[in-house]
Amino acid sequence: MAASPPTLSFPRPTFAKLSPHPYLLAGLAAPDSASRSNGRAPHEARPIHIHTSSLSHAHGSALVRSGDTTVVCGVRGEILPVTSIPQYRPTTSYNTAEEERSAGLGRGELRDYDLLVPNIELATGCAPQFLPGVPPTTLAQTLSTRVYSLLHSCKIVDPAAVRIWYHPSKVLSAGDEDEKVDDDDDNDGDNGDEEERRTKPQLMAYWVLYIDLLFVSLDGNPFDAAWAAVLAALRDTKLPEARWDPDLETVVCESKKAPMALQITGVPVACTAAVFLEKEHAELGGKQKKNRHWILLDPDRLEAELCQEVVTVVVDCEDGSGETRIKSIEKQGGTVIGRELMRGFVGVAEQRWKEVRKML
Amino acid sequence: MTVTAAPQAALSVLPRADGSAKYSHAGYTVTASVNGPIEAQRRDEHAYEAHVDVIVRPAAGVGGTRERHLESILQSSLTQIILVKNFPRSLIQIVLQIEATPENDYVNTKLVQASLNFSIMPALFQTAILALLSAAVPMRATATASVVAVVPETKSKKLVVDPSPRELEAAQSVHVLAFTSQGELLLAESEGDFTVEEWDEVYETAEDVCCKSETSKSDVDMMLDDDDDDAGPADMHQFIRSTLEDKVAADLHWK
Repeated sequence: MAASPPTLSFPRPTFAKLSPHPYLLAGLAAPDSASRSNGRAPHEARPIHIHTSSLSHAHGSALVRSGDTTVVCGVRGEILPVTSIPQYRPTTSYNTAEEERSAGLGRGELRDYDLLVPNIELATGCAPQFLPGVPPTTLAQTLSTRVYSLLHSCKIVDPAAVRIWYHPSKVLSAGDEDEKVDDDDDNDGDNGDEEERRTKPQLMAYWVLYIDLLFVSLDGNPFDAAWAAVLAALRDTKLPEARWDPDLETVVCESKKAPMALQITGVPVACTAAVFLEKEHAELGGKQKKNRHWILLDPDRLEAELCQEVVTVVVDCEDGSGETRIKSIEKQGGTVIGRELMRGFVGVAEQRWKEVRKML
Repeated sequence: MTVTAAPQAALSVLPRADGSAKYSHAGYTVTASVNGPIEAQRRDEHAYEAHVDVIVRPAAGVGGTRERHLESILQSSLTQIILVKNFPRSLIQIVLQIEATPENDYVNTKLVQASLNFSIMPALFQTAILALLSAAVPMRATATASVVAVVPETKSKKLVVDPSPRELEAAQSVHVLAFTSQGELLLAESEGDFTVEEWDEVYETAEDVCCKSETSKSDVDMMLDDDDDDAGPADMHQFIRSTLEDKVAADLHWK
């Protein structure tokens, strides 16, 4: 060290490339104010920009930008007739949501019939490590599993919103009297059961929501951006009014009426942070001198590469009671974040929720 | 389906692998093999540390996105406790074969499921740790995992350790927590709908399941004497320890 001339210095990008860990540490360990290589404070996230309805052929879409991470999400509804569902078990209509909840235990239609189909694609060149012509990377597969699980565990899509019913009684009463008489003539010998079957509303089809995500560019923190895009796109989704046509024996969509907005419950927002350790090659465990650490909110690609431990918390403060509901916690790759830090991090996630909520 | 209460484990069940273990608990049976340190492929080679490769094979069919996610969780956790810096440019391969999973008689089980499967994670985790110990891979600590579900009851909630598929379905939230043998939180995965207070309760329950004897050191010796014959071991960490002690005692029997 002593031999090297004191005038030797690198421009910042060279220093970052040659030894990224000391480069990041130099900024964070500064005694007056800790700042990251990207100029942010440790607990400062990148501002999020959301633009909805930008795709014309999707039923709902959103473009989310958070720094240099850009993701496009498109939601497209397709009609799935119940006759094409293997192992389909008929549902009766419920009058109230409460009644449905008590009866619907173990009847996760969304999950059983795969009515939500998220898919994530990391475009070639969105980050240097993504090369053309390779199968989906582990990151893409992991992300789509996480998005799929969160979609189901948050219950943000109400199963009632994707059901397409046929109400024979309504059709009959709406039609003129002659038609009704005609109908009765056809089924002269029908008993009460048959009558009930004909007048009871029948579930004929489901909307399947294909949720496609494309990362245009990726600069760290893909999950937060992906989830924000899914949420914004679903909130933007408008499905045309569909009804069963008994004459055509198919589901038809009303082209005259304006499409109906999909009902979305709750506003869960994801917040990710990475833990940066002072010593890169330090041993784990409490025996040695304490290894200092920084929790970096919304890590970019350089930071994500240098951090092992990552924590993601999904919170929803939309509930009127003022109590924060946690929807998901994912913490892996280290032992720094224990019970106390996790509690503190939920507070950070609440702040992030307010920021994102404003943009939606 | 009958589920054995106490976990069962056997070490070095596969003759060709460097280390292996078979573990069954709460209806899950998993066999693991560990090979390492072995030569790494060029793309996996790391100049300063060993690459830990985890492969999860489901009981039926081929692995999908869910297995990739389980693999990535296990990989990042195990990399933390294996002394990877001791084996630069090499590979430690862990293969986990799921043999049996508890069935839910109330629903049609689909072969390919994309959603997370939290209840299998403790079985995978414990099997991997046992197999790594059997392969004598140097580790800075062992770790154990447990799954806790918060099941709503009339007007109250109850915490269920190792929930059945039926309970999982009714659960408001499901949590997997893993602790190192030093009592540090290594892994935390939760989904559902819960508050910070509920998570705290879950944390305490899971800590009890994983490493109760670590927090109350005083009665460890007493437990060691007692647990050999009657009941199950006090906690998961104790279970792993006694399994290894039995194996060592059996192997050194000729002396």
